[in-house]
Amino acid sequence: MFFQQIVNGIVVGSVYALTAMGATLVYGIMRILDISNAGAYALGAYISFFFLLQTGNPLVAVVMGVALTAVFGFIVQKFLYAPLMDKSPNVALIAGIGLFIFLQDFLRLVGGPQARELNFGAMLPSVRLPGLGLTLYGTWFLILGATAVLLLVLWYLLNRSTVGLAWRATAQDLETAKAMGINTNRVVAFNFILGYGFAAVAGILVGILYNSIYPMMGDVPAYKMLAVIVLGGLGNPLGTVLAALVIGMAETLIGGYVGFFLPRDAIAFVVLILILLWRPQGLLGRRRVS
Amino acid sequence: MKNKRIQSLLVVLIALGLIVAGCGGAGGDKKPAAADNKAPIKIGFFAPVTGPAAADGDSVTKAAKLAVEKINKDGGINGRKVELVAYDDNLKPQEAVSIAQKLTTKDGVVAAVSGSYSHTTRAAAPIFENAKIPMIAAYALHPDITKGGDYVFRQSFVGTAQGKAGGYVAVDMLKAKTIAILNVDNDFGTTLADSFTQYVESKGAKVVSRDKFTMVEKEFNPVLTKIKQLKPDLIYMPTYSGTGAQIARQAKELNLGIQMLGTEGIDSTMEFLKVSGPTADGIIITTNLNRNSKLKATQDFIKDYTAMAGHAPDMVAASTYDCFMVLAESMRKNGAEPDKIKDGIYKIKDFEAATGLIKGYNKLGEVTKNVQVQVIKNGAFTYYGEISDPAIITPPDK
Repeated sequence: MFFQQIVNGIVVGSVYALTAMGATLVYGIMRILDISNAGAYALGAYISFFFLLQTGNPLVAVVMGVALTAVFGFIVQKFLYAPLMDKSPNVALIAGIGLFIFLQDFLRLVGGPQARELNFGAMLPSVRLPGLGLTLYGTWFLILGATAVLLLVLWYLLNRSTVGLAWRATAQDLETAKAMGINTNRVVAFNFILGYGFAAVAGILVGILYNSIYPMMGDVPAYKMLAVIVLGGLGNPLGTVLAALVIGMAETLIGGYVGFFLPRDAIAFVVLILILLWRPQGLLGRRRVS
Repeated sequence: MKNKRIQSLLVVLIALGLIVAGCGGAGGDKKPAAADNKAPIKIGFFAPVTGPAAADGDSVTKAAKLAVEKINKDGGINGRKVELVAYDDNLKPQEAVSIAQKLTTKDGVVAAVSGSYSHTTRAAAPIFENAKIPMIAAYALHPDITKGGDYVFRQSFVGTAQGKAGGYVAVDMLKAKTIAILNVDNDFGTTLADSFTQYVESKGAKVVSRDKFTMVEKEFNPVLTKIKQLKPDLIYMPTYSGTGAQIARQAKELNLGIQMLGTEGIDSTMEFLKVSGPTADGIIITTNLNRNSKLKATQDFIKDYTAMAGHAPDMVAASTYDCFMVLAESMRKNGAEPDKIKDGIYKIKDFEAATGLIKGYNKLGEVTKNVQVQVIKNGAFTYYGEISDPAIITPPDK
């Protein structure tokens, strides 16, 4: 039972890490809490579902879901956030919420209100290890594998590439980076493309894991990812991964040993509050010097 | 600069406000129907067409339209046509309240049907009561809904009766001794789990655990792993299709091997059966729609609904459809004014409806009819049993 719960916790945490990563990237550079990223999460899953129905090919479905959602991220940045850059961050926040609500209702009108099956998990059989009392879902390997690979790629991009250098410079100080000759517009655009691509991957994987996608599927991620981002230290990708694992593990272990005496999300937020009381700057955030 | 910022923020806020206000009503301005004998009879209706219960909203809206079509095809109400005045409550009580006010003051409806959940219906019920316009709740099951007065009726089982029926299935039919409960944390799940617990404990069975979750929960592995250790004879899960389907799938993956008992909440052909697929086989539910019923009203409804919607109906659709049929029956026999409709509903006896034979309504407005027990077999709801014991199915009258 203990091992099973640990694995459960890691899977839940990985899902949170993937889900929150898109919004973390956007926050890291733009200092905007981009709620519409949770809309992109649902959009990616639906595009993928559409292509799965049309072509029957899972690979095409995933690639198209991620690519088109990334393009959507570029459009959102160019036509929604870029014009609002010199306004107060509240304006961008509200615009993002508006876009999120629009996307949910758009998906409901186009795809219908019912949950649909994103059924390519059936081909991944579960692995049972009775000695350890462990059941490993086939889809878990997919989730864990994808999370690990994507996070490594992201780490490489941010820390070992020129793009990453420009990115970090822009995140630290956009004006100075611009003065140093960095094409910050391009950095910001790339940031959104990657952030929305991540959201799509998360949406598709969660859709496969639970064999269901529905218009409101971004609802829980919309607030859960905020918790993860805040706990991780606002815009710090490594912090986001750590925070996601902490929240996923806490929910699972408390739920598994004490029971769901409160709904799971409520348990997560109690944990969030306790940790923030201890570390107001988040797990890996830097304390701001005034 | 600062002013400009505040200005733009205001503009956005106002725009958002307008959008939200705009979402509220699809009905527009409707003048009360003139009291002449040719004008159509208006029946109000609200359902969660958008929001987290949009799938149920879709089912019941189709059922309401089908019912009105059928009434009009059968000659209307003594020659007068029936007209549906439908609104979307977004599953929000505040929306339901303003809809109830619109229906009772502006739209001139003679009766109304709630195709929504317990918390929204509960909020709207007193407004219909005060306006003296009869309202029938299609499938909302919280006991308080009908307690406000005699203009509010219920078409499906009150939660306490269905919870008891679940208990009967668990201990009397399936002989369970130890039971784990997994309930959705709202009026629906709590009412059912409480009355279920009361019944099974009175029969000497033991509830070994009770866990709750929100209606958007998807991850049940932690809690199912915990339940697996407790080795109960049965899991009772009063919840909806989205969460129920995940419980079914994950229980199968974890090789739980425990009999599961659900409620009308997972009586959904589109969302529950499709998402859970073969993992749902063997799950038993309490509901009010018997797919194998010999009643003509049931078979006609299933046929007509399937032809219209392209898929088999669920219990929320059947319950909603029946509300309109009951209203029509009352209007045909007793007259189409609110007071007469109310009196007419109390007079209904042994009325054949899609959800079975309606024995009648008690003084609280609670329906009495048999509880259906269905089992999922080869991906379809199938007859398992029927509970007619008056000790179980008779609703409370105070």
